[in-house]
Amino acid sequence: MINVILTVLAPLIGGVVYGIERVVKARMQKRVGPPLLQPFYDFFKLMDKRPIMIHSLHALMGIMYFIAEWFALAVLLLGNDLLIAVFFHVIAVLALVIGASSVRSPYSVLGALRELMHMISYEPLMVLMVVALYLVVGSFDIRDVLNYEGYPILEIPLVFFAFLLTIPMMLQKSPFDVAEAHQEIIGGPEIEYSGPFYEALYTGKWIEYIYVFTFVFLFGGSHYWLGILLVVLAFLFINLLDNSSARLDFRTMVKFAWSVLIPMAALNVILLALWQ
Amino acid sequence: MGFFSKFRKKSPWILHYNTGGCNGCDIEILSALAPRYDIERFGMLNRGNPKQADILLVTGPVTKNCKDVLRRLYLEMAEPKVVVAMGACAHGGGIFRNFYHVENGVNNIIPVDVWIPGCAPRVEALIDGMVEAVEIWEKKSKEKEFLKDHENVIKTLGVEDDG
Repeated sequence: MINVILTVLAPLIGGVVYGIERVVKARMQKRVGPPLLQPFYDFFKLMDKRPIMIHSLHALMGIMYFIAEWFALAVLLLGNDLLIAVFFHVIAVLALVIGASSVRSPYSVLGALRELMHMISYEPLMVLMVVALYLVVGSFDIRDVLNYEGYPILEIPLVFFAFLLTIPMMLQKSPFDVAEAHQEIIGGPEIEYSGPFYEALYTGKWIEYIYVFTFVFLFGGSHYWLGILLVVLAFLFINLLDNSSARLDFRTMVKFAWSVLIPMAALNVILLALWQ
Repeated sequence: MGFFSKFRKKSPWILHYNTGGCNGCDIEILSALAPRYDIERFGMLNRGNPKQADILLVTGPVTKNCKDVLRRLYLEMAEPKVVVAMGACAHGGGIFRNFYHVENGVNNIIPVDVWIPGCAPRVEALIDGMVEAVEIWEKKSKEKEFLKDHENVIKTLGVEDDG
């Protein structure tokens, strides 16, 4: 029941999460920060702008990103294959990349290429994480993971740690926010969207929060208190990292993902398979 | 004016553009974002992207090189939008008035709604100007806005605007 509610109300809950994040970020910088419902005020404001689009495919791909993101979350939460949910997430990012590379703005095209670099960095790790969960639980089904009696975090701690450092890549946070570098390429793929079409991207990002933190929650197994604790710790860690680090080069990001994170997760998976 | 217009004042996003001033005003703008004044508590963000911004905050006497960029930024912003001119230079040139390379203020290029006087204005003056800009912005409609000498601009630039 709770997964249906979470799926249907994903934009609302994601918006609240984003609002909390903005307040937490402001408090970490000793500021007061915006009100908690600020993302929704932005949403309503963008609704009221004059719609301007570059061309119809570009606008369609923005909306497609939102729908595919929501669909991936639905596949994840409504008790399906974890692996399929990972692949549907790829479709969402691809829609963003196609839309961004179909316009003439160099920042947009550069952002699209960097978004592909993001995908190269985190998608193998997502698949490895799902494989690790399969080795622990014995099933790709999310219901079996949530009914697992043991503690997945204790059996695959390195995979969890690798995933924790992958979250900044997925949520576009510093030090790995190369695709959406606001001071450098001013939003990257989202630069040419305006008004109601930008809203689709803005809201799609909120859904991504729920998508990512659901995966964090899975590491608690059937112990929901542990899952919630992990989600809160991951949330605070990501914000702390976001506030205290500068942006890295995209080469550094890909190198870090392929030479540190993926071997670390793979080592954990291999050791677990040998031990079993 | 629909249902959503009520929420406009809660999230004005700013586009800041320096048209060749001395950078004094820009430091004040950055100070407004910093912990002491924290302009984000009113929902204001410095977006740096004309397509998503609502308030165009211009500083400096518009130099000849900046003229077309400023006009383009104004035209790229989606309505409703407000222009705020900040500092003495933006009000007709300031100490750069009648120099060979300046256009004597923002008002000669794009229509200005709010003026913030001072050299450089204090952050309190900036926030006061922003509040006034938001009040004007709330009353604006979604209709397309044109430059003052729209026909002349089209003639000189040789581009058609599809509206």
